[in-house]
Amino acid sequence: MSAFKKVAVLGSGVMGGGIAAHVANAGIPVMLLDIVPQGANNRNQLAEAALGRLKKTNPAALMSDRAAGLIQPGNFEDDLSRIGDCDWIVEAVIERVDLKQELYRKVAAAMKPTAIVSSNTSTIPLGTLVEGLPEAFANRFAITHFFNPPRYMRLLEVVKGPRTEDDVLPALRRFGDVALGKAVIDCKDTPGFVGNRIGIFWSTVAMSQAMSLGLTVEEADSVVGKPMGIPKTGIFGLGDLTGIDLAPHVSASMLKLLPPDDPYCKIYDANGQLAQTIQWMIGQGLTGRKGKGGFYRQDKAADGSRTRLTLDYATRTYRPTRRAELASVKAARKGLRALVEHPDKGGQYAWAVLSRVLAYAAELAPEIANSIADVDTAMKTGYAWKWGPFEQLDLVGPKWFADRLRAEGKPVPRLIEAVGAGTFYKEEGAARLIFTPEGRYAELKPAAGAWKLADVKRGKQPVLSNKGASIWDLGDGVACLELHTKMNAIDANIVAMVREAAKLDKKGFKALVIGHDGDNFSVGANIGLGLFAANTAMWPVIEQNIKEGQDAYRALRNAPFPVVGAPSGMALGGGCEILMHCDAVQAHAESYIGLVEVGVGLIPGWGGTTTLLTRWMQNAKRPQGPMPAISQAFEIIGTAQVARSAAEAKEKLLLRPSDGITMNRDRVLADAKAKALAMVPGYKPAEPAEIFLPGATARTALAMAVEGFRLQGKATPHDVTVMAALARVLSGGDVDILDPVKETDLLALERAVFLSLIKTNATLDRIEHMLTTGKPLRN
Amino acid sequence: MPSYNAPLRDMRFVLHEVLGVGNYQNLPGFEDASPDTVDAVIEEGAKFAQEVLQPINQSGDREGCKWDAGNVTTPKGFKEAYKQYCEGGWTGLTSLKEYGGQGLPYYVGVLLSEIVTSANMAWGMYPGLSHGAYEAIAAHGSDELKKTYLPKLVSGEWTGTMNLTEPHCGTDLGLMRTKAEPQPDGSYRITGTKIFISAGEHDMTDNIVHLVLAKIVGGPEGIRGVSLFIVPKFLPNADGSPGERNGVSCGSIEHKMGIKANATAVLNYDNAKGWLVGKAHKGMRGMFTMMNAARLGVGVQGLGLAEVSYQNGLAYAKERVQGRSLGGIKAPDKAADPIIVHPDVRRMLLTCKAFTEGARMLTYWAGLNVDLAHKHPDAMARREADDLLGLITPIVKAYQTDMGFECANLAMQCLGGHGYIAEWGMEQFVRDARIAQIYEGANGVQALDLVGRKLPANMGRSLRTFFHPLDAFLKEQAADAAMKDFIGPLLRAFGRLQQATALIAEKGMADAEEAGAASSDYLRLFALTAVGWMWAKMARVAIDKLAAGGGEDPGFYRTKLATARFFMERMLPDTASLQQKIQAGKRTLMELDAAAF
Ligand SMILES: Cc1cc2nc3c(=O)[nH]c(=O)nc-3n(C[C@H](O)[C@H](O)[C@H](O)COP(=O)(O)OP(=O)(O)OC[C@H]3O[C@@H](n4cnc5c(N)ncnc54)[C@H](O)[C@@H]3O)c2cc1C
Repeated sequence: MSAFKKVAVLGSGVMGGGIAAHVANAGIPVMLLDIVPQGANNRNQLAEAALGRLKKTNPAALMSDRAAGLIQPGNFEDDLSRIGDCDWIVEAVIERVDLKQELYRKVAAAMKPTAIVSSNTSTIPLGTLVEGLPEAFANRFAITHFFNPPRYMRLLEVVKGPRTEDDVLPALRRFGDVALGKAVIDCKDTPGFVGNRIGIFWSTVAMSQAMSLGLTVEEADSVVGKPMGIPKTGIFGLGDLTGIDLAPHVSASMLKLLPPDDPYCKIYDANGQLAQTIQWMIGQGLTGRKGKGGFYRQDKAADGSRTRLTLDYATRTYRPTRRAELASVKAARKGLRALVEHPDKGGQYAWAVLSRVLAYAAELAPEIANSIADVDTAMKTGYAWKWGPFEQLDLVGPKWFADRLRAEGKPVPRLIEAVGAGTFYKEEGAARLIFTPEGRYAELKPAAGAWKLADVKRGKQPVLSNKGASIWDLGDGVACLELHTKMNAIDANIVAMVREAAKLDKKGFKALVIGHDGDNFSVGANIGLGLFAANTAMWPVIEQNIKEGQDAYRALRNAPFPVVGAPSGMALGGGCEILMHCDAVQAHAESYIGLVEVGVGLIPGWGGTTTLLTRWMQNAKRPQGPMPAISQAFEIIGTAQVARSAAEAKEKLLLRPSDGITMNRDRVLADAKAKALAMVPGYKPAEPAEIFLPGATARTALAMAVEGFRLQGKATPHDVTVMAALARVLSGGDVDILDPVKETDLLALERAVFLSLIKTNATLDRIEHMLTTGKPLRN
Repeated sequence: MPSYNAPLRDMRFVLHEVLGVGNYQNLPGFEDASPDTVDAVIEEGAKFAQEVLQPINQSGDREGCKWDAGNVTTPKGFKEAYKQYCEGGWTGLTSLKEYGGQGLPYYVGVLLSEIVTSANMAWGMYPGLSHGAYEAIAAHGSDELKKTYLPKLVSGEWTGTMNLTEPHCGTDLGLMRTKAEPQPDGSYRITGTKIFISAGEHDMTDNIVHLVLAKIVGGPEGIRGVSLFIVPKFLPNADGSPGERNGVSCGSIEHKMGIKANATAVLNYDNAKGWLVGKAHKGMRGMFTMMNAARLGVGVQGLGLAEVSYQNGLAYAKERVQGRSLGGIKAPDKAADPIIVHPDVRRMLLTCKAFTEGARMLTYWAGLNVDLAHKHPDAMARREADDLLGLITPIVKAYQTDMGFECANLAMQCLGGHGYIAEWGMEQFVRDARIAQIYEGANGVQALDLVGRKLPANMGRSLRTFFHPLDAFLKEQAADAAMKDFIGPLLRAFGRLQQATALIAEKGMADAEEAGAASSDYLRLFALTAVGWMWAKMARVAIDKLAAGGGEDPGFYRTKLATARFFMERMLPDTASLQQKIQAGKRTLMELDAAAF
């Protein structure tokens, strides 16, 4: 089962381009081919334009400049002949069978026999796609269905046909999982596979029920939003995002493919208010965010002020957006059940949606998926639901759900009958069990190398624990330090636990991993508590906190065993500094790492400034003299740069070149553990660095740069103060270039400078502003 | 009969020698307040208070206000005194010149009201409430309303009132029932009952301007639906004279413990015509303008009563001879020594003295910050003054009124049984002082305002305006051996305040009951630290003055230092027990069921 070494993507539209970019993100060369437009001078025009777009999209499709370089644009006429060395060929051209088949025939002629071909179709059955094609081609053919945008949406649905050879799906699954980081689920060759089958039904129900129950757009979005575990854009907001004009195509294709007795065909009403409204909107160019607005829109007045407007679908006019205030939404804080039991129209609406969608999912699950867990995974990773349909059933209680359906005279799906008074998932000791369509419970085991900390924790006690962090035994002599404060902000509890973690050899451990299952590794130090201490002039307390943080982090680095950081999501400020003190990092590709302290008028004070400077100074590739290294660190810290991927973090030396990257979120901890174990033999802690710094002369140079920023209006008055303070540390303070600067000297400087800054009003105003608005204050 | 002499020397010391108010004269709004002018104004005010107001204080208490068929008669001499006060231009002392006022800074008004309260608190509340009404209309009223009402309030021709309280709604204004119905002409019809309205009805002027909180029909529920209205007793004619009688009448006045000469009225509004002040449903905003000033004003009442009580207790203690000094006979020519020789009598007198002088400085500092918050040309300076004011207003109000009562009580104690006899006037001070702890937000509610609103506001930003300068002051003074007696104790109190603040921030954020349980003790801890700081600043000045020879009256500075030491050694240490109580948390407070009490 060798991984793919080279890939070709056919079709450079939104999906094709996105898939190619993500293959490149995995470090694999990829050809991106498209047709030669009629009369074009540049025969690669389409693919090259796509590549240009990929470099600019926001959120970024590409993780690094290097990844961009791995994409080779080309065209079907000149370059198909060169796909002979590709292991995987993905087709993502428009949804027309004739065009796809024409292309397949050309591919069949050019591909190597062991290559795999797959289509990213979302609407054409596999059977139709390979009809009439040579056996050899059909043997190597499958469907790989990605979700948009391919870098960020984790779901990958794979489908095989009756003629697909046995090695094809495992290879695709493995590549999708390990190389691309996707949640791969096996689907049957049924319309819409799993995600869209349920998702399209859901969105149609959610929109049409809102209209028939007379909820405003805001009210509907306040219900089918956070309370139901849906991203806060809500259902109408989601429509605006994906494009209103897509809706008729989607429903037409589903109606064509689905059997007429499918509930979707029954709820879809071509003459109903929803379909009519959408038709009218498209006619008006109201196609959503990309058009002139959708269910919501922003109006800009002559004076530049903006007002948010909402479509009143009944009168087809826009009016100012109103905050929805439904009692049911407030009640939902107590849980999903409290929401759907609430008597107000929000509660009624929630039930109308939930009852239909969950019943539909339960009815279909055995037919469209291999397990209910796959259905849940599909909805969570393809539609960003917080809970899958069966998890939602467990939340409200399957029996309660069934009883209510029965009371309303509605049929109860067989699977829900079968689970009876039980739940679809349950835990027994360390095992997680899942209800199968056969009416039994089976153990749900994570795939090898793809476990979560939750799997380790189930039924066990931590080795050590306090309010902010815990230490778990990962087996094989490896411990895991888990952070669990809100947003994993670093507080005194976490610092205390870091200290404990540095002594774990005393408890018989030989390596440590720092990581957890949370979305964000850590958003940085808890500045709320710090702000209070600063406002009340508790300087000694603040100084002690900085010292304790420095000491704890250094203890981690000096511990007599390897420590591996395992971040995902944001690792900012104090969170980034933990990683910088690890012996190695195994980062999720989607890690956003940065030293952002200047945003709140501070500098990294827990060794971050010192460590980044040292890394740049010791960088073998740097030009002669200390200034280029100092300038790099100055720029990265001074402008609060956050790397938009692990790959970019390496370029900034926020990660080391030798640090590892894992594409699949679920594999980060296992990879980190493996890395830690590999470091155990002969492990010695790193020696503290000594570097030579130029002192005042460097400060002068940096001050000139800052003055330049100020004159260009890029630096505010307080920016100038903060950058001068940063320059003081990075230049080594009052040293002579001939004397080595010890790490402890730099740390003392960090502390002094940090304290001088936190005593200023302007810094405290920045912290307050960040905490109250979430945005930096430019004072 | 008690007497009163305005403490002019001490007032000047705080104003000029410590606060240096003259330094602000270059700021807009302070132009006319040269130190000489301020001194002259205060001296004149003192004379008026001593000669006109103080003599009718005791008689006013005895006589009280009389209600007859909706009309209220104030005690003998009150009306005349008011007329004289208006003629002297006192009503408009700090009002804007464009409305006929003298345009002096707010802090000058604070000094005047201290003097007036000491002389005659019940009388002082009539013009005091007018000024509150003036401030609300000036800040939030339409030009039309300002034009109609402000000149009358400034000249004193009309007085004003504040109508919040209703029978079922005191602290919790969200329960308000008085309603306002919009009329086609833009006015409103107000209907409902207000109670406890100070100066709600009287015979001193021919019109009264009621500022009334009410709910516009159909508006939001609770406190968010409250609006502020002007409802005059007589509807003004086009020429400004009082015209037709409005639908507001005084149903009765209360019989009460103190301030008997101030009418506490039940006001019935029956389709009374009123005009909106500020925005609909934003009445609390208008009220808060009045309330911050009014709360400072009530804090001043605590100060004023402590001062006059102390003066009379002191005079008695110097005269009255009983027993011999424990340290040996002091007045061999008399049958016994004056009671001022006794340590415990001294404890009582010094408590009053140390409180009064410390609180005076705190109060004037707050008053000065009212001016800075409104008039400083630099936005950041305005913000800081406003933050500081928000923070110390509940402290000034609650601490100073608690101590005002306490000092009146201690001073009365100095008189022994005679203190309990009406003729001596001491028990009146106790009775008068008591209300200040209750109205304008009961003191417990002030404490809640401090921990629940002022502390968390802007993530604790207000605290900075107090803690940072105090921290800097302590660092600055730490090296000076002459300041040792003051800096050491203050440093300890400050540490306790810091720790208590951190504790409340941490526990109180997770559990609001914890914040509530700590609130009153925390306010007192804060107040003691604040007054301790004031004392240390005064000590600094006294030390410097003495080092420079002490001028005409070195004894004044030596007394300051001795009093400062008393505060540091015998009042500030209360912070230790307060901190312990705060640390104890809510457990024992919340343990019992209501039924188990
Ligand atoms: C002589 C006099 C003059 C007055 N003048 C005026 C005036 O001019 N205008 C006007 O509008 N009103 C006036 N008042 C009313 C006065 O402001 C109120 O009496 C006062 O605000 C308290 O309200 P209440 O009497 O309803 O007490 P309540 O609100 O019933 O309070 C009773 C006790 O419970 C405490 N308490 C209440 N709620 C809380 C809470 N949430 N947390 C902690 N403790 C709480 C209070 O501190 C108080 O100790 C006057 C009152 C008097 C006696």
